[in-house]
Amino acid sequence: MIAAAGLLSVCLSATEAVSANASTVHHKKKVSSSKTTTKTTTKIANPIPLVVYSAQGYDKAETTAFSKKYHIPVSLDDNSTGPLLTQIEASKNNPKWGLLWVDGSTAFAALDRQGLLIHGFEPKVNFDSLGLASVPSDKSWVPTGVTLMAAMVYNKQKVTSPPTSWQQLLSAKWKGKVGMNDPSQSGPTYPFVAGMMNYLGSVAKGEKYFTSLKANGLVVNPTNGPTLTALANGQIDVALVQSSAGIGAAMSDKSFVVKYLNPVTLLPSCIGIDKKAPKKEQEEAKLFAEYVLSQAGQKVMQHGDPTGDSLYYPVVQGVNPLPNLPKLGGVKTQSINPYTWGPLESSVNSWFTAHIVQ
Amino acid sequence: MTTEIVEYEKADFEPGLQREETEYVGKGTKDRSFMSLIGKTKSLYRMGSLSFWMVLFLAIIIPCASFLLLAVSPRLFGQGSQFFTLSNFKAVFNGTTMLALTNSLWVASLAALLGVFCAIPLAWLFHRSDLPFKKVFSAAMWLVLLIPSWIPAIGWERFVNPEGILARIHLWAPWQGNLIMGPFGIVLLLGLRNIPFSYLAISNALSGLGQEFEHSAQVHGASRFQTAKLVVPILFPAILSGLAIGFAEAISDFGVAATLAYSSHFTLATYYIFQEIGNFPPNFPVAAAFSWLVVLAVAVPLYVQAKLSRGRSHQILSGRSRQVVVKRLSAPVKAAVIFCLCLFYFVAVGIPTIGVVSSSLLSDFGSSLHITFINYEKVFTTAGLGAPLERSIEYAAITASITVMVAFVAARKLTKTKGKSAKILDFILLSSVALPGIVFAAGYIFAYNLPFLSKIGINLYQTTTLLVIAYIATSLPTNVRMLFGSVSQVSDSLNNAARVHGAGPVRSWLRAILPPLSRPVVTAWLLAFTAILLELPVSELLYAPGSPPASIAIQDNLGNYHFGIGMAQAVVATFVAFAVVGTVFALYRLIAPRGWRRIGGTARV
Repeated sequence: MIAAAGLLSVCLSATEAVSANASTVHHKKKVSSSKTTTKTTTKIANPIPLVVYSAQGYDKAETTAFSKKYHIPVSLDDNSTGPLLTQIEASKNNPKWGLLWVDGSTAFAALDRQGLLIHGFEPKVNFDSLGLASVPSDKSWVPTGVTLMAAMVYNKQKVTSPPTSWQQLLSAKWKGKVGMNDPSQSGPTYPFVAGMMNYLGSVAKGEKYFTSLKANGLVVNPTNGPTLTALANGQIDVALVQSSAGIGAAMSDKSFVVKYLNPVTLLPSCIGIDKKAPKKEQEEAKLFAEYVLSQAGQKVMQHGDPTGDSLYYPVVQGVNPLPNLPKLGGVKTQSINPYTWGPLESSVNSWFTAHIVQ
Repeated sequence: MTTEIVEYEKADFEPGLQREETEYVGKGTKDRSFMSLIGKTKSLYRMGSLSFWMVLFLAIIIPCASFLLLAVSPRLFGQGSQFFTLSNFKAVFNGTTMLALTNSLWVASLAALLGVFCAIPLAWLFHRSDLPFKKVFSAAMWLVLLIPSWIPAIGWERFVNPEGILARIHLWAPWQGNLIMGPFGIVLLLGLRNIPFSYLAISNALSGLGQEFEHSAQVHGASRFQTAKLVVPILFPAILSGLAIGFAEAISDFGVAATLAYSSHFTLATYYIFQEIGNFPPNFPVAAAFSWLVVLAVAVPLYVQAKLSRGRSHQILSGRSRQVVVKRLSAPVKAAVIFCLCLFYFVAVGIPTIGVVSSSLLSDFGSSLHITFINYEKVFTTAGLGAPLERSIEYAAITASITVMVAFVAARKLTKTKGKSAKILDFILLSSVALPGIVFAAGYIFAYNLPFLSKIGINLYQTTTLLVIAYIATSLPTNVRMLFGSVSQVSDSLNNAARVHGAGPVRSWLRAILPPLSRPVVTAWLLAFTAILLELPVSELLYAPGSPPASIAIQDNLGNYHFGIGMAQAVVATFVAFAVVGTVFALYRLIAPRGWRRIGGTARV
């Protein structure tokens, strides 16, 4: 534990050094942002605990670094996206959370529609194209990184000519050999299902596609872990999972290869702030979001869960993806409108359960 | 013959007679200090009773009622616009939900029967025969109990998968997968899990049953079958307890429902409720309406059990000594029994263990067979991976200690009290046992996170206190059912004898009642401890931020990228649970007076 704490301490020192020595135009802006942050910090006298609901693998490292830097106590509820959203919905009469940090903007759109999020907050950072594609018009949540849904993972020792399009997955060659997650259990999978419906043109056409996929022997597992396990033990040959999960698996199992079929749906990890939280906690939450998007915060994000959630595509300029991430050149990405697809989540998931999972 | 004996026992301990006896003692010693003692005892009893009902009210009634009320009044809890509606009930009356409910009912019934049918011969073999290694086999029963239901489910899946362990050793055939990944496998796993519950209930009763009943039957010329007809009804409360616990455990199980049943496309009621709550946005009112149906479906058979048990006296533990003759088995019978037992433990424990341990020993997602201890190294060396387990051990110990005390009082009230209060208590416990953990947890949020509570300074939601209260509430019904069989067998004559000899109420309880029940109480404590150690649904919604228990940490790893680490954590947690069971039983053997271990048991000749 001491060694781990020491490592984290060294890592954080290095992170701060990188941030301090930044010299590009963008980094100058970051320094300016840092000044703003510092100004904000001085305003937060007698801080109260910031309650963070998070499903991110690096959240522990990030909240620890934030607390250390700003001396603001953080109470972290690290759980899967489903239970966190259930908690928020069950306690919306008297919410206890301050900040929510999970993958997928559709859930945030639904929370926004219920009036549970503050509006108009935008950290002073320069978003790159992925970030700009993920920022909502009313600024009710903040993207912090992007993964893709769904990445195609296959075993190169078994599959020599992998599918090159979504339609090919319906061919007899892949009968009984394709696996994916259940959207009602896996938070990132609904955006994939919605993304396919968006790409194909309508809910009905999407339903037809997944029905055909099921007729071709689609194997549905609850979450990324079991789907990748099914790939590893040979039950399936192609796994459709979150890009970070697939890349992480490929890092530990060298026979795995990750490819993207066009188009892939952007799955931003987002931060939303509770509208009913005390003002002071909201200010702390804003400061946290700014810290996450700072050079120092991004460094922590990229090292907090090296074979998992850290394998994301950054959304701010000047931060490069980790070397293990496949280049996005030539990959067609799409964003789905969270306000269109968010309200459909329940009905689409129910349909999926009744017609594809059962 | 059965009736005669039961009637004899009943007449011996008629409540009216007890009252008269007490009054007589009171009249005979009319000194002021004695009357004052009686007064103090009564007020102590009233205070204790009041505290007991307060615990039930706050821990079970309020959360359950809140959740069930949600079905008809969503607006009361900010979950809709209507103050009163029945539309949510209409929503649940459709093919999918009814199928889920029907599936759960017949699967739970068969699993309960399987549990009892296996438990009766096992209890007899371990308590009444000279079977070699019976202590080892008896102790191994705890292994079946300790393993959370999702572990055998995952283990079996890995075993019979087309590319699983059997396939890798070239022993796989399609029928194996078809058999296990379907209703048969689900009933088998739930039934195997029920065996320890039924075994504990029946063996506790059997250990207090002397052989005088069998002797008297044989003296009157009864055949073996007729003798069994005499003895089995005496074990009736314990058998019914076993059936009731098995049925309730199976119908409210979530581990198998979310793993094996899910993979087999066989929807069970708990999974349906989970889907309604876990979907986004969650549909709490419909989940609540469906929970009403589950509660009713479970309450009816459990009510019948309680009614049958409470209608007759089954008291066999009194001050008289018991003797049993250990049945000597022939060598071929011993060999056959040992073979069957080995097979049973291989199916119940061996296969899941192989499946789970093999997963924890693979560094990647399992595509290679390279064995490594890297996952265990990480569990023991990485900061944050061991803390959840330490936390869960603490929570489980506190929960078990409180649960056993409350459960004992409840079991006593159920068996000794007649009238409305016992019926109400019965109904409360029956209702709550039927509610799946996740429903219970959501009920806690609705009940204890109301805005007015915050305004008066009560902020229980997201505290460890509320989590432990919820743990107690979830483990209480099963614990009461577990103690019910044993408590119902304790005759009041033991307490009366102590009182006649001058012992006060507390002393007489400690000297006369506790000794024969000490082993069942220890067993109930361990049952609660092991159930809470890896409890998931309640923990998921109620754990205090920053203090995740073991199940959350494991689930987090299993669901994401660290499958091997999650499996290693599960294996370590199960090992810890088994170590605790072994230590507690060893301590009981060392610390408990020899008489405690003998009283209520049987002397072997």
